Amino acid sequence: MIDWSAFLIVSVASLLAAALLVSLYSLGLRLLTTAGRIPLVEPHEFTGAITVLSPKKAAKQVKRARKAAAANPLTPGLKRLALYAGFACFVLCGVAVLYGVYLIVPALHQ
Amino acid sequence: MPEFSLIIVLVIALALIFDFTNGFHDTANAMATPIATGAMKPKVAVGVAAILNLVGAFLSTEVARTVSGGIIKEGNGGILITPELIFAGLIGAIVWNLVTWLMGLPSSSSHALFGGLIGATIIGVGTQAVDYNVVAAKVILPALIAPLIAGGVALVATRLAYMITRRDVGKPDGRGGFRYAQIFSSSLVALAHGTNDAQKTMGVITLTLIAGGFQAVGSGPTFWVIAACALAIAIGTYTGGWRIIRTMGTGLTEIKPAQGFAAETSTAATILASSHLGFALSTTQVASGSVIGSGLGRRGSTIRWGMAGRIALGWVMTLPASAIMGAFAAGLALLGPVGIVLDMVIGTIVIMALFRWSRRNRVTHHTLLNDIDDAGRVVNIKKTPRRPTRRGRGDRRKVSL
Repeated sequence: MIDWSAFLIVSVASLLAAALLVSLYSLGLRLLTTAGRIPLVEPHEFTGAITVLSPKKAAKQVKRARKAAAANPLTPGLKRLALYAGFACFVLCGVAVLYGVYLIVPALHQ
Repeated sequence: MPEFSLIIVLVIALALIFDFTNGFHDTANAMATPIATGAMKPKVAVGVAAILNLVGAFLSTEVARTVSGGIIKEGNGGILITPELIFAGLIGAIVWNLVTWLMGLPSSSSHALFGGLIGATIIGVGTQAVDYNVVAAKVILPALIAPLIAGGVALVATRLAYMITRRDVGKPDGRGGFRYAQIFSSSLVALAHGTNDAQKTMGVITLTLIAGGFQAVGSGPTFWVIAACALAIAIGTYTGGWRIIRTMGTGLTEIKPAQGFAAETSTAATILASSHLGFALSTTQVASGSVIGSGLGRRGSTIRWGMAGRIALGWVMTLPASAIMGAFAAGLALLGPVGIVLDMVIGTIVIMALFRWSRRNRVTHHTLLNDIDDAGRVVNIKKTPRRPTRRGRGDRRKVSL
């Protein structure tokens, strides 16, 4: 009655899928950072879960990001390569999300 | 059969109310973490979730066709469940959903529905009408395993996210970029929720219509049923169960963008994998497990196990508690029309009482944002006045990157 193999398959499948997606996106961010385009995204609203920095500290972070970008040891060509590779990671990630949508909508795969 | 039609109208109305509570109970599953990390504004987040739930409800009717899933042996040779019993079961499910909402506990709406129906069936037909093997295999065991799988997956995903983006101390790591990703991952969860949960109500309404002889046995939900259910769950989602969002977003662990993305992706992956490879897991339990897993995955984060324990207790209680309430309602409903009216009156009084109680400490998206101020009010600490800044409103411009 209880299908243990189904549980196993589900855990392995979800582990692989989530790990792949998260790795891709993280790699994209990493490459973007390496290329000197450090994404600094401000939160829209401040909830209890957000560590709030003082404006001074935040400005310091922005400055540090700029400095790190300027001190980038990569050549312009390598930087561009890293940037494109980063974008490629995001695109792959997007494709994976679209596959998720495809799985959700039964009309598409039946 | 005019009196028979009246009970059917009541069941449909109650089913839609249940769908509404289901919506606002489950907004947190998709939207608690993006709201907590500031990836989306709270109102925008619940709006997106509502639209995706509405769209999702129209996308599939598969779950609706198999809703009672054999838990209650109905139709063809089995015991036919009557509209009165569905009515009683729904009352139990709605009341339990409201109780858990009031306590801010993310609990499974499907379990509340199954519990209510099981309780009503036991009273109305007898204990032999419930297939306990199916209950164990389809409800209880997945409930134990769902948070474990999701938690493990989220733990690994969070570790990976931090490992890959790790840089030397002091160098910017760009982890704020996970906020963009969170928008997509949480939308995926909302869409998956829409395709699943609105279906359950459609299934109940269709079952009632079939039982009442308005629809052929084995036929799927008609268009107006789909539209009504989609609308009910979307409105419920937009109303936003802010209490549960607060519990999931800030009550379990402090969530950072990377964790939020890892948790949402794990939730989406687990739900999609489970619904495609055999059995359905509760979205709520998967999402809660993911949040805890992502908390375990980040170095230096703490998990409030007391809150996790309360949530787990809520899950254990859901099935028996809604079953007891469903059974009670069924006991009254079986008295005949008087019992139905009595059920309605008692149900309305309980729901009104719960809402009045909730007004005492309201939780809206406003209170969500200044949790700290709220805590200060409760213990009555005199706040030190804010130091005036040079730019006047300057202290509003707080930035976290």
